[in-house]
Amino acid sequence: MKRLQLRWDDVQLGDEIEGFQLDINPRRAFLQISGSQDWYPVHFDPAFARKAGHEDIFMNTGFLQAALVRVITDWMGDSGFLRKLLFEMRRQQRPGDTMVCRGRVRDRYRKDGEGWVELDVWAENEREGVTTPGKAWVTLPLREGA
Amino acid sequence: MAQPYDIEAVRKTYIGTEIAKARGRFPVEHDPIRRHCHMVDDNNPLFLDPGYAKTTEHGTVLCPPSAWLALFFASLGPWPAVFEPLLPIVPTPGKRIVNMAQEVEWFARIKVGDHLSVRRRVADVYQKGISIDPEAVWIVAEAIITNDRDDTVCTIRNTLLTHRTPQEVAAATDAAHPGGQE
Repeated sequence: MKRLQLRWDDVQLGDEIEGFQLDINPRRAFLQISGSQDWYPVHFDPAFARKAGHEDIFMNTGFLQAALVRVITDWMGDSGFLRKLLFEMRRQQRPGDTMVCRGRVRDRYRKDGEGWVELDVWAENEREGVTTPGKAWVTLPLREGA
Repeated sequence: MAQPYDIEAVRKTYIGTEIAKARGRFPVEHDPIRRHCHMVDDNNPLFLDPGYAKTTEHGTVLCPPSAWLALFFASLGPWPAVFEPLLPIVPTPGKRIVNMAQEVEWFARIKVGDHLSVRRRVADVYQKGISIDPEAVWIVAEAIITNDRDDTVCTIRNTLLTHRTPQEVAAATDAAHPGGQE
């Protein structure tokens, strides 16, 4: 069954992107290693992480990126195209946290005949607030004749 | 006695250095995409369901637009994980690494079956202290990923923080001031 496709014409400034949330727990930490193939022990070995000066293990860049990309790709649909994404790992997502990932439409404009949308996307948790702020630029299909 | 770290010499020697040039061991495959999606409960059928993907304008399963996954397919291969020898190439006082920021620009979608390659280079190196290590060194690495048609698929700019452990910082301080005097 074909999924609904978001059109540039239907996007409004300030639109909220609902996103999703994930519990960060040991199972999620191992899914992170499986899915990212990042075997740096700071992401799964608490003793190694503490020796490096961290309070505990923390989720890696591949995991955080996959989460932010999911916020965007769930929202933009099959015909949307993520043109650019930048994000910063300012604080950590650790076991015990509930990671919430969301977004918001920051700008929309036409450029070179295409419909561009600029988004704020981020991951947050109750302990730290926003941990991973990001910005994304997406192109969306236009309505027929637009 | 250890030589003091000379950031200016490191910058002069390593900025612009090509770190790695690699072609993925395998083409873009379904199962690493499935595991990547699974870690964040991403059930998007465009990335997971060949039957569904065939009905879309893309005609086949796409790789999610994650630079991490693109780099994986371009250089690391499914197993064993072999990370680029970034730190042995760029000398740093500490060997612990934290990825602090990433900027990715996409020019084409990646499809299952594409065969990716990567070229990586050191774009910048600078020293800026952090709370646990006043001599932390930051490395900016750039990667260009291409497909087998030689199209640039994406460019990636990673900012990596390298630091010493608190024990290493304390040991270095003790070595510099053996009597505990400033």
